[in-house]
Amino acid sequence: MSRIVGSPVPRIDGRAKVTGAAVYAADARVGGALHGFLAMSTVASGRITGIDTREAEQAAGVVAVLTHRNMPRLARPRYISYVKGFIPLQDAEVHHGGQPVAYVVARTLEQAQHAATLVRVSYDAARRPRSSVVDALDDAFVPPEGPLGPNEFTRGDVAAGLAEADVGVEATYTTPTHHHNPIEPSTTTAEWDGGRMTVYESTQGGHSTRICISEALDIPLENVRVLSPYLGGGFGAKGPVWPHTLLTAAVARELRRPVKLVLSRAQTFTSNGLRAEAHQRLRIGARRDGTLTAVDHVSTNQVTRTEQAVFSSSYSTRALYACPHVHVAQRAVRLDLPAPSFMRPPEAVGSFALESALDELSYALGMDPVELRLRNHTAVHPETGEPFGSKHLIECYRRGADAFRWRERDPRPGSMRDGDALVGWGMATAAHTAGGRPGAGARVVLSPAGRAVVQAGTHDIGTGTYTVMSQIAAQSLGLDLDDVDFELGDTDYPFAFMSVASATVPGVGAAVNRACTTAREALAGIAVADPRSPLHGVPAGRITAADGFLYVTGKPRRRERIRTVLARHGRPVEAVAEPAAIPHGYSVGAEFAEVRVDPRTGRVRVTRMLGAYDPGTVLNRRTLRSQAIGGAVCALGFTLTEHTLIDPRSARIVNPNLSGYLLPVNADVPEVKALFVDKPDRDNEDALGARGFGETPGTGMTAAIANAVHHATGRRFRDLPLTPDKIIQGTAAR
Amino acid sequence: MKPFDYVRAARPAEAVGLAAARPDAAFVAGGTELTNLMKDGVLAPGLVVDVGGLPLADVGLRDGRLRIGATARMRDVAEHPVVSGRFPAIAQALLASASPQVRNRASIGGNLMQRTRCWYYRDTASPCNRREPGSGCAAVDGQNRWHAILGGSDHCIAVHPSDLAVALSALDAVVLTLGPDGRRSIPLGDFHRLPGATPHRETALRHGEIITGVEVPESPVARNSRYLKLRDRASFEFALVSVAAGLTLRRGVVTGVRLAFGGVAPRPWRAAAAEDALRGRPLTEAAVAAAGRALVRGAEPREHNAFKVELVQRALADILTDLGGNR
Repeated sequence: MSRIVGSPVPRIDGRAKVTGAAVYAADARVGGALHGFLAMSTVASGRITGIDTREAEQAAGVVAVLTHRNMPRLARPRYISYVKGFIPLQDAEVHHGGQPVAYVVARTLEQAQHAATLVRVSYDAARRPRSSVVDALDDAFVPPEGPLGPNEFTRGDVAAGLAEADVGVEATYTTPTHHHNPIEPSTTTAEWDGGRMTVYESTQGGHSTRICISEALDIPLENVRVLSPYLGGGFGAKGPVWPHTLLTAAVARELRRPVKLVLSRAQTFTSNGLRAEAHQRLRIGARRDGTLTAVDHVSTNQVTRTEQAVFSSSYSTRALYACPHVHVAQRAVRLDLPAPSFMRPPEAVGSFALESALDELSYALGMDPVELRLRNHTAVHPETGEPFGSKHLIECYRRGADAFRWRERDPRPGSMRDGDALVGWGMATAAHTAGGRPGAGARVVLSPAGRAVVQAGTHDIGTGTYTVMSQIAAQSLGLDLDDVDFELGDTDYPFAFMSVASATVPGVGAAVNRACTTAREALAGIAVADPRSPLHGVPAGRITAADGFLYVTGKPRRRERIRTVLARHGRPVEAVAEPAAIPHGYSVGAEFAEVRVDPRTGRVRVTRMLGAYDPGTVLNRRTLRSQAIGGAVCALGFTLTEHTLIDPRSARIVNPNLSGYLLPVNADVPEVKALFVDKPDRDNEDALGARGFGETPGTGMTAAIANAVHHATGRRFRDLPLTPDKIIQGTAAR
Repeated sequence: MKPFDYVRAARPAEAVGLAAARPDAAFVAGGTELTNLMKDGVLAPGLVVDVGGLPLADVGLRDGRLRIGATARMRDVAEHPVVSGRFPAIAQALLASASPQVRNRASIGGNLMQRTRCWYYRDTASPCNRREPGSGCAAVDGQNRWHAILGGSDHCIAVHPSDLAVALSALDAVVLTLGPDGRRSIPLGDFHRLPGATPHRETALRHGEIITGVEVPESPVARNSRYLKLRDRASFEFALVSVAAGLTLRRGVVTGVRLAFGGVAPRPWRAAAAEDALRGRPLTEAAVAAAGRALVRGAEPREHNAFKVELVQRALADILTDLGGNR
């Protein structure tokens, strides 16, 4: 019997994507669609005092110019996907630079873009905007518990724990604002037919977009349809619903014409979310043997004047190590900048601080960093005492260290060289929560021709959803992969939660398996009840399905082709799985990095990256490895190059483009190796033991690289990114 | 983007005539720069004269001078055997520029006409004297990590982004032009202007004047030349600092030296004082250090770019060590 789950099946959507056959949201051909373009505020806070749209309205091709004066009034969605805090174009208030102040609609994109430059706006911007967390620490507060959980957590007594410590580390880590920068900018095309709204959207949350449009525009939910079959990346940028989507739907309804809007790259920097600038103070105490006695982790994150949710999580400080005394506070300061949101992986920020501080502790103790982590390993959740569904972290440390040849590391900083380059090896634990969300439903229809169509209203954000869900369905149904069509990206399909929080595999995977299992059982029942079937009379519970056949368990020769059963049945067999909440998972791993630092020019090159991970069951080694590579590259950018720069006086983002916001390029990225434990997670049996995993690889690698730079240079750099100016600062020329 | 007229010129004189007749004309060749600036609203020409098809793409050596046509593509010049063999700094500077896709499109003339990457110049909502005379300079007290430490003024501290121009400056190139008043030869060192109080006047070109080519004299210094570029990522990124250097030695003594620097000044920064500190002296660590000090004498670092003062001296020392074959 062939196992489809676990095979490194190539991406099912790969050919469509590389040949251009894949129809992305902005490619949707909607007859008669007009083009929208936004005009953005030039100030970061204040009020619009005057707005002159006459010249724009008279420009060639312009159909409408909507400002806060004539934009239809919208209700702010209550659903958790709307995190902006306000809807622009509803009043004269300006909350950040790059906020929409006019929505221009024209016959062509070029006409709309040009007309947007002709909208004249005057502002009262008396107050100087605030744009830096570090400058505003005195105003930090702990926001109340929100939909994302508590922002302050205490276990034990940190003061007592610190007093018990033989060795302590106290350090402050700072990280800048980041932007997701998927290659495909956000886009919305909305069509109103007088009663129904159809929206072609690039989103990680089709159903949540549907809910928000329904709430904002007061349209019955069943009259809103959102389509999003392909994404050119999201990284969290397309998880929340952002104002441009609601505004485009409102404009299409107002004009009774389809409207297409594509954000410019610069507009994505202010219209989508961002990863908050963070200031983190860590205090760690440990006994001489490395046992942690206390961890105090206080982060301060940027929020806005209208929204106070903190999206960067310090969860690993609570859950990753056995430590009796823990205090975590996620504080906030209000800045006059666009709203933060989740950025893949949201636990990377806290992980950078925690795993850097542990490396500092390992040096204070004179203990190997892997050994320090082994000494503080916990098999149970330290808050609840409950075991994890599975946790093979010790095996990850061992396999990762072996594969990296960690034993050959000379721990003394500056001790390893390659010519003039300083070589450093660093490591960190990777960990990210997975799942714990509302989950998903799924539907399967087996046709008389013997094919299966499986549907779920989920998304393929580039991670391989089409592929692994097809694998799960095929295996569960006993069909060949070629006989399964998995369809997603349509709210006509069963509900699926956003593709965020490493929740798609445990949520959608479980639903697909449940629906297909139900269908397979129905099929078995049909076969055994039919005197024409060789399986007639066998108890249905003894029927197994594989390789296109139903057969008697243990007697594979007594079998019948599934296609034959269905053909004789003569009508489709259907099954539906209702959405079911999915368990909280925790996917862990051990990550290792090697750097070469040129001490003269300050250039840091990452020359090796390796991770050993526990993702539960490996559904598809190929797509899983891609996730590990993606996480490593994100971490490389986080550590070395990425930095949204904000002008201190205007609070405008000065590098809202891909030439100024430096993502790693291929030349920056070495080979990335990924090892997987591949053992099922008990809590995720419905998903065949696979745990959500995608965000884990991006967590520990940031600290692993920074720790390697310390090992290379003997100096701690606690302010990211590690650009050459910081590396050479204070060093003498040779 | 503001609507504009577009015309393709078949011959250089036609291009000049078309542009000279329209005060709001601009030239385009590869389209990798002007179109970006037009999309961002930084430039809004009423007439775009396409000079990309002019028969000015030849590259070759004649009478001891390398002649590079203005419409030659960056990639073709970088791969030309005469350039890579006898003017390696030029080839290296081109290959250190942009990305393969851009180098396949972008022209030599357009490369010299690149505008600064200063983000305030490229953001029409920010003040910028270079884009809008008299509006102020946001960089002087703003995000100025990438900005000039030499040759700037309180009106502008933008840096010139071209790698090629740095190499050409070091190798005493001359820019050949054709304008309404005829042909001119402008030494590359005079081609880009320092900002002073008029940063919006960026080059020596007059309205309607086009670059037809660049000439570089052959020399032993050019043959032993290199280009070193330091930046925040490994590729597709402008220089934090860069240096083009040519060097000849006789028994360890510097007989010829040419030095130009990028990323530090509003134009390619030829450093005669640094050259003087080396010429006629043994190439010792002390002499290299003295050249570095001469280079940064009078540097005016701002809040975020003081590191360039140190980094450019290290870059200079590294490239001289490399060229000298020993320390």
